[in-house]
Amino acid sequence: MSDAHTESLEEFAQSLSYGKRSDLSFKFLPRLGPDVGDALASVLREVGSVFDTGDPSELIDLAIGLQADGYQSRPLTERYRYDDGPFTRPDRPVADSRVALLTSSGHFAADDDPKPLGVESMTQAEAEERITDFLKEAPTLSEVPIATSGDLLEVRHGGYDTRGSRADHNVSFPIDRMRELATDGVIGTLHETAYSFVGACAQTRLIKQTGPEWVARLKSTGSDVVLLIPV
Amino acid sequence: MATVAVYIEAFSHYAEAMHLPRTLVTHHPMGRPLGPPGSDGRQREVIEAALSLVDSAVAPGTVERMGGVYRPGAAS
Repeated sequence: MSDAHTESLEEFAQSLSYGKRSDLSFKFLPRLGPDVGDALASVLREVGSVFDTGDPSELIDLAIGLQADGYQSRPLTERYRYDDGPFTRPDRPVADSRVALLTSSGHFAADDDPKPLGVESMTQAEAEERITDFLKEAPTLSEVPIATSGDLLEVRHGGYDTRGSRADHNVSFPIDRMRELATDGVIGTLHETAYSFVGACAQTRLIKQTGPEWVARLKSTGSDVVLLIPV
Repeated sequence: MATVAVYIEAFSHYAEAMHLPRTLVTHHPMGRPLGPPGSDGRQREVIEAALSLVDSAVAPGTVERMGGVYRPGAAS
């Protein structure tokens, strides 16, 4: 009798979430639970439609909808629940304001690698493999001059599919678009430094220690507005 | 210092639960909150919509869902 193991659908879904088939665009699949089979069947059905139409629009919309279903399928922990929130009214319109950018996309200047976990030139694959180590570490805030050109930027983040960010940093770290908006007068002035960190980090330390330190740092820059881009 | 955040739909429930000051939600995939690679027009549209919330929102917990879809290769 063969001892070959027939992989169950549940095991397959789990293999996409940092498993042997790690795929960060579809790591949510295990969250769909018993609906995962129907979800995959619906994706395949749309792939079949693309054969005939050549138009992937409905497939894209379906995949985005499944991501939302997956991530919203589990209740949030109390850590993320607040009865009320802060609110600062701007002193002036955005067109007259100094605006800063802060993202959790994991971008950094090529000549200023934050060397996560003490590793020199860590690859994206290693970042994915060591995601649990990242989640225990305090985040490092990378400072990137706002004038940096795309070929001098790097991105590394073990928590999301970075292919889009590699193809065009502006999908998650929009320094080119921000410069254009400043040139066109939509934004008053830009803070000369953009900030980014790896959002997959020790969350309690981010909330209680690192985050407040960064807020103080941003306030000291004289920025009126901060555009936040979580990924 | 006023803030505005851009969230994708998949994580918008975090923004709502945390009562962030201002949130713009896009129907984009994870890792591409502002739009597809090379879609300068869509990226700019999203940022302008987010910044307009700074001017228009009057209370914390303001969440606006942006129309439009994620279409790589669309004219921008």
